[in-house]
Amino acid sequence: MLKYFLLNLLLTFVWVALTGQLNYSNFLFGYLAGFFILWMLTRHSNLKEKQYFYRVPKALVFTMYFFYDMMEANLRVAKDVITPNYNTTPGIIKYPLDAKTDFEITMLTNIIALTPGTMVMDIADDKSYLYIHTMYLRNKQKFIRNLKDRTETKLLELLR
Amino acid sequence: MTDILIMVLSTLGAIFILIASIGIVRMPDFYTRLSITIKAATLGIGCILAAAAIHFSEFSTTTKVIAIIFFLFITSPVAAFLIARTAYITGIKLWDKSIVDELQDRYDNNNNIPNNRCKEE
Amino acid sequence: MTVDDYLFYVIMPIISLSLIFIFIRFLKGPSVADRVVALDLLITVGVGVIGLFSLIADSALFLDVAIILALIAFLGTVAFSFYLEKRNRDD
Repeated sequence: MLKYFLLNLLLTFVWVALTGQLNYSNFLFGYLAGFFILWMLTRHSNLKEKQYFYRVPKALVFTMYFFYDMMEANLRVAKDVITPNYNTTPGIIKYPLDAKTDFEITMLTNIIALTPGTMVMDIADDKSYLYIHTMYLRNKQKFIRNLKDRTETKLLELLR
Repeated sequence: MTDILIMVLSTLGAIFILIASIGIVRMPDFYTRLSITIKAATLGIGCILAAAAIHFSEFSTTTKVIAIIFFLFITSPVAAFLIARTAYITGIKLWDKSIVDELQDRYDNNNNIPNNRCKEE
Repeated sequence: MTVDDYLFYVIMPIISLSLIFIFIRFLKGPSVADRVVALDLLITVGVGVIGLFSLIADSALFLDVAIILALIAFLGTVAFSFYLEKRNRDD
């Protein structure tokens, strides 16, 4: 996993040094070319070796999905700010965590905090619960299930 | 073409910043204000800086802009988390119309919000 | 209407107006935490103003200032929240 990433970076730098143009588009092209070459070279090895080549497109899709989600939540909050009445129903709920290590919890917390309307207030001492403040709380079970399906499961299958 | 892109991005950024500032003035309590403002402002500033990167289109400027955006996106959730936790510990109350407060039994604050107004399905 | 005119006469007034709104909350805020959040937002919007000004003035040097300002905003918020928590624990 890490080995292929470093090899890919090395190929990128070789490409940039050979062509001599210091652009972001050139970096991107070098990365894609290196990715393709490594993919072709390892096509006969076992599935565990090839993990990296499935993970990069998945990370890209996840980033896109995250920005789409963030835009949608921003528009909802914007509508609420501009219209005269408050129709928010805020509340703090307890959210059972599936993520185990510190890094996974940090990434999940950052993603929750960056979508407008939700915010992490505290973490339980044994790292098994998050306390989340949310602005649109209609139904507790539904909110928890929604967050788990839409964000946490995808993040964990990307990181593990 | 780049002119139109710069105009669209800067307009988007300005609108997000305006929404954040209106939100910080008229939202009812501290926590809703915090959860609206910091993210909308971060997104708006990301848009404006992206417009600057498109306008200059040099390698060094783009690197600087990416550094600023990355830094803002990493630090603003941490800052929001720290200040929200501190506010709860120092006893700033939630809004009266809040539905449920499950953090109540972790710290002994008297928020006077009943714990079961939320539908449990 | 060129891009510079648009940025100078439309975008800059909108951002200035939002700075005034944030400053109202900074003066009014009932608790210290409100003021800290308003200060953080004020500096963050200041980073945006610097980016916009570097666009108008056509000089990329101002972006260095923006990096330092973003750093200082984060440090200020962390220090204030640490201080508030400490003060609450002491008395």
